[in-house]
Amino acid sequence: MPLRGSLRSTTNILLVAGLTWIAWLQARADEPKPKPENTISIQLGEPVPPQKFEHPPKFWIASVTDRSGNPQPMMVMKERGGVFLDKQPAAIVKEGIEQSLKVANLLAPDAGSADLVLRVYLFHFGLAAGSGLDFFGKVEFSTMVKNAKTGESQEVKAAGTSIAKGAVRKKTMQKNVEENIEEALHDAIRNFVRGTQLKEAVAALSKGTDVVPGAAPSATDTPKPLSR
Amino acid sequence: MRVLMVALVAGFFAMGAVAKPKDETPQYKTAEAKHFTTAEGVELTPAFVDYFYAELRSELTKAKLVNEVVGEGEAVDDADAPKSLVISGTITEYKKGNVVKSALIGFGAGMRSLKMDADVVRRSDKQNLCVLHVHVKIDPRWNEKIMAKGAAHQMVKEMKKALAETSKPS
Repeated sequence: MPLRGSLRSTTNILLVAGLTWIAWLQARADEPKPKPENTISIQLGEPVPPQKFEHPPKFWIASVTDRSGNPQPMMVMKERGGVFLDKQPAAIVKEGIEQSLKVANLLAPDAGSADLVLRVYLFHFGLAAGSGLDFFGKVEFSTMVKNAKTGESQEVKAAGTSIAKGAVRKKTMQKNVEENIEEALHDAIRNFVRGTQLKEAVAALSKGTDVVPGAAPSATDTPKPLSR
Repeated sequence: MRVLMVALVAGFFAMGAVAKPKDETPQYKTAEAKHFTTAEGVELTPAFVDYFYAELRSELTKAKLVNEVVGEGEAVDDADAPKSLVISGTITEYKKGNVVKSALIGFGAGMRSLKMDADVVRRSDKQNLCVLHVHVKIDPRWNEKIMAKGAAHQMVKEMKKALAETSKPS
């Protein structure tokens, strides 16, 4: 006996739903999950000694906000079972900048005693699209440097890159990725603490009222990624 | 015969000792590579320029042309400025290539090509030390980032040669 129209369409819907569910289950099974063996720890290692300032100010990092738009910021690589970070990229960057500022005694013990407050916006942390033959590590952030007394602020951009060899073995690949991101982080922090942009911002903000009002963005302005 | 062999081996060792040491100290202290700009009509993504910048820095480090490769916009000690380089440039032409032409005709037809010009200046007085023109061609099926890799390698090779010629006493 032939099936009636409504029954046939219901069967079709159930079939499609079933196939979709199976496909979703398969996709979920392929999605890499963080495990101790595929998790890497990114550390700055040797802190970067900052440049010398005429009147050394005290900095305080108020916040590091992740603006990368990455839904899985801790997953640096999806292929081959995935590679994950053990900490949020924002926390790694904050730790790195603090370590470097502390070396030159430029880090304030608390927000109240700081001359300049830093708000960091992280645009990229991890691997970027490379040639496929190697790993291209990139760390990019922008910082709003704000004078705690006058409220004036300036934007300082920083970026770090690194190229590391590709690898066949998973263990070697994980090691190369770790070294590559660490080098990019080191490079970005060096670009920030030794950059002429920070020097100019510190000089302008320490003058206070001498800053050209039009040139200084307000603290509420959100910095945009570096446009090359 | 044995004596001759011993003399030959000793000769090789002597030549090795006289030869120029491999790890000689670089002539320049720092080099700052800037992001290259693209000329009008060049259809390349900012990601390509970013990748080329990273490759150029990586090649400069590998070539041991300088003691330290600094990032874009980093401050350099005034004392080091006369021995520091700044590299900037423009991507003047990019041709995507044609897979069909490349497969059917061959002999370089339909290749993906990239032309770029670079200036190497001394940081202290902005004196131009050399001008480089690089032209790379690759198979159109290959990733354009491979082209960036090749271009960076060729640029540093030419830079090394040009700077060596500049520093030669005339």
